[in-house]
Amino acid sequence: MDELTREFLIESQEGLDRMERCLTELETRPQDAELLAEIFRSVHTIKGTTGFLGFKRLEKLAHAGENLLGLLRDGKLAADGAIITGLLQLLDALRSILKTIEAEGAEGTEDDAVLIGWLEELQLPALAASAPADCAAAATRSARKPDFQQTAAAESASMPAPAPAAAESDPAAQRASSSTAESTLRVDVALLNRMMNLVGELVLTRNQILQATAADPNMTQLSRRLDMVTADLRESVMKARMQPISHIFSKVPRIVRDLCQSLGRRVRVRMEGQETELDKSLLEAIKDPITHAVRNALDHGIEPSQERRAAGKYPEGLLTLRAAQEGSHVVIEIGDDGAGIAVDRVRGKAVERGLVAAERAAKMSERELLQLVFLPGFSTAAAVTSVSGRGVGMDVVRTNVEKIGGKVEIDSHPGEGTTLRLRIPLTLAIVPALIVRSLGQSFALPQGALSELVHVPPEQVTTAIEWIEGTPLYRLRGRLLPLVFLDRLLQPGGDHRAAAKRNNFIATLNADGRRFGLVVEGLADPEEIVVKPLSAALKDIGLYSGATVLGNGHLALILDPGAIAMKAGITVSAEDAAARAADETEGEAEDGAEYLLVEIGGRSAAVPLASVLRIEQLPLTRIEYVGCRPVVNFQGQLLPVEDAGGVLAATEGSAADKNAPAARIVVVVCREGNRQVGIAVSQVLDVASGGDLCEAGSSRPAAGLTLLGNRVTGIVNLGGAAPLLVESKPEEWIRIEEGVR
Amino acid sequence: MSAVTAVSLKERAAALVEVCSVRLGQAWFGVPINHIVEIVGSARPQPVPLAPGYVGGLVHYRGDVLTTVSLRKLLGMPLVEGVQDVLVLENAGICFGLLVDSVGEVLTVSSADHEQNPPTLDERRGALFAGAYKLEGRLLVMLDPARLDPVRLAA
Repeated sequence: MDELTREFLIESQEGLDRMERCLTELETRPQDAELLAEIFRSVHTIKGTTGFLGFKRLEKLAHAGENLLGLLRDGKLAADGAIITGLLQLLDALRSILKTIEAEGAEGTEDDAVLIGWLEELQLPALAASAPADCAAAATRSARKPDFQQTAAAESASMPAPAPAAAESDPAAQRASSSTAESTLRVDVALLNRMMNLVGELVLTRNQILQATAADPNMTQLSRRLDMVTADLRESVMKARMQPISHIFSKVPRIVRDLCQSLGRRVRVRMEGQETELDKSLLEAIKDPITHAVRNALDHGIEPSQERRAAGKYPEGLLTLRAAQEGSHVVIEIGDDGAGIAVDRVRGKAVERGLVAAERAAKMSERELLQLVFLPGFSTAAAVTSVSGRGVGMDVVRTNVEKIGGKVEIDSHPGEGTTLRLRIPLTLAIVPALIVRSLGQSFALPQGALSELVHVPPEQVTTAIEWIEGTPLYRLRGRLLPLVFLDRLLQPGGDHRAAAKRNNFIATLNADGRRFGLVVEGLADPEEIVVKPLSAALKDIGLYSGATVLGNGHLALILDPGAIAMKAGITVSAEDAAARAADETEGEAEDGAEYLLVEIGGRSAAVPLASVLRIEQLPLTRIEYVGCRPVVNFQGQLLPVEDAGGVLAATEGSAADKNAPAARIVVVVCREGNRQVGIAVSQVLDVASGGDLCEAGSSRPAAGLTLLGNRVTGIVNLGGAAPLLVESKPEEWIRIEEGVR
Repeated sequence: MSAVTAVSLKERAAALVEVCSVRLGQAWFGVPINHIVEIVGSARPQPVPLAPGYVGGLVHYRGDVLTTVSLRKLLGMPLVEGVQDVLVLENAGICFGLLVDSVGEVLTVSSADHEQNPPTLDERRGALFAGAYKLEGRLLVMLDPARLDPVRLAA
């Protein structure tokens, strides 16, 4: 049984328990609207969820009940004894189906026509309400009711009734496997947090024990066992905090249903990736933004049916919710196929509200204009609703998502719809960070803000770092990057003359659009750090966002790049940022893509930077051969290595000559379609943007060539690398092998 | 009249307080034991650049990061090299550490021997001390955990 079904079972069982309580109370207070609403909700939730889980029988039954409950809730029917009996029958039937699903994974094939028929009959008085013959209908009903009961009685006498049959099909198995609701437990999140802390401490203690016992062979066995148990424990506790995103998604159909009713829209909901898991606290944090986005999509995105028909669209709108894990992030998309955002109106509104200057707005690209909907103040009044078509509370969505370290993007095409994309870190507690050293201690730098690292060796410090009136700058690919020395920042009165004589590393940071280089003395390994909050007394310093315990047991303060930029006085005005953005887009348009410049067998070649995943340096011994093709085994995945320039052979040759076992090669790992290809290179030279080259006499850019630093450079053809595994094409195999030879 | 005095004396005599003694250089101070969560020996606190003067650094305590207050820094005494003991104190539900040279024995003192801070004590120290117990041959100056809380010191 999948996670989703299990969740559904727990939720439904809870819902049915509530419903039962309410039904019994309803006997005494038949007019209580709240009770009716509660019962309706329970049945409605089951129906809504079964819809996308594909439990048709359950859905049909719940639907029949929902119809009846709808009439009751709307006051068209009064809940009398007969109706409550009917609803309790429904409850029992639903329960028995849930039990069957739990036991067998399917809902069984019994026919519920009799019960559904009865539930429909119970609705008759309301449906016939327009007719004056109220008493007649009541008479019909009272006449028919015994009918059913007789039938039911006869049924249960002649053959085992469906519900008991399901429940008692295998009593032994029933007893053995306790119901899902019983085998799960609700745990206080605070307790989980505490467990996480304690596990963290256990890990550190284990590390120390491992070090202390390394020399003692008697202890090795024990400490290894401790090691394994600790790792498993840590994983389990982490997992305990994760919940599938369906917890939020499952609420959406209901929201959509309600909104559709009130707005008079017709919308279908499609959901993907509901099993994607996310830390519990993050799930809570994105609940509101998602609800907001769904409301927006329905309110302002998807048009009423007539408008859609006029625009040549399917009258029923489509709301798509998609979740997927991408590395250490979960990406959630909320898309609609509505009218999209009219950027011209956004521009007009933004200028009118004084959020941007008119001249600047005129120059802004469509993408930049779309970002304006996130500005606070853009989305205040209903006036925006009628104008922009979107933007109510978008700033709230962004604020909430950014608060948990996430990002929001918006994508809109007029007439085709709008997609809101939320990028959420997998867990709040653990952040990938680079450990840097300064002032003789370690600091953690969150990798989210880090874009690149530059090493300045001692002999280059005086030339590479330039100064304007005491302000250090570094020329990074032609653009001046303001520098902040971490030691000077943290120890304003200290003696920092040593900076010129030591290694310096510039960490290029991008904090909310402020770009600067943070100069540190040393780099250690990147680490996944567990963020611990600082006490209020230290928060006031403002430069640290927390502290963490490193793998070696030492503590490190977590630097806050945004706060450092503020403190160092690095600001970027909005105009400046826009100019830079425009600059960059223009640059891209002019110069074409960026390339990684590599040397392959004495010649330079270019690899499109966009397709480069990483650069690996490997010992030559890691290269293995499948047939004649060199491959590398990367964490269990086979990576074919392209060796067009004979780099491997050359390295192998030299290794054999000098008898040097430590020969290493550099492999550029690239993405090619949906597979990965490694390219063996002699060395990596630089990153540069290349210009298109036109063949003389034609205006078409030459394929496979680019202009890098005024030199014509060949682009490595990734598509040329043949797939490693070729299915059922023996001729091709031969061809490839010959080609390689 | 005399009966009342006797009763109140008796009550005062019955109120025994357990005090943990801590050493700072040559001086001994007392901390009421009911505020102490744990004593962590020989810690090397991680310094926090730009932190307020009284902060002794961070220590790792039970998977959490604890801010410590350096008693030496608070009292304006010269800092010493090497390890110090950390008293983990709790105030208003929040834990913090108090860095001292070493932790001594736990003394049982009678509240009858307690005296308030003398009015002649300088204001800065008076704000940290909660009177003293008159022991045989010496005075045990009491520290008030609530007043040592880094959050309160920051205010």
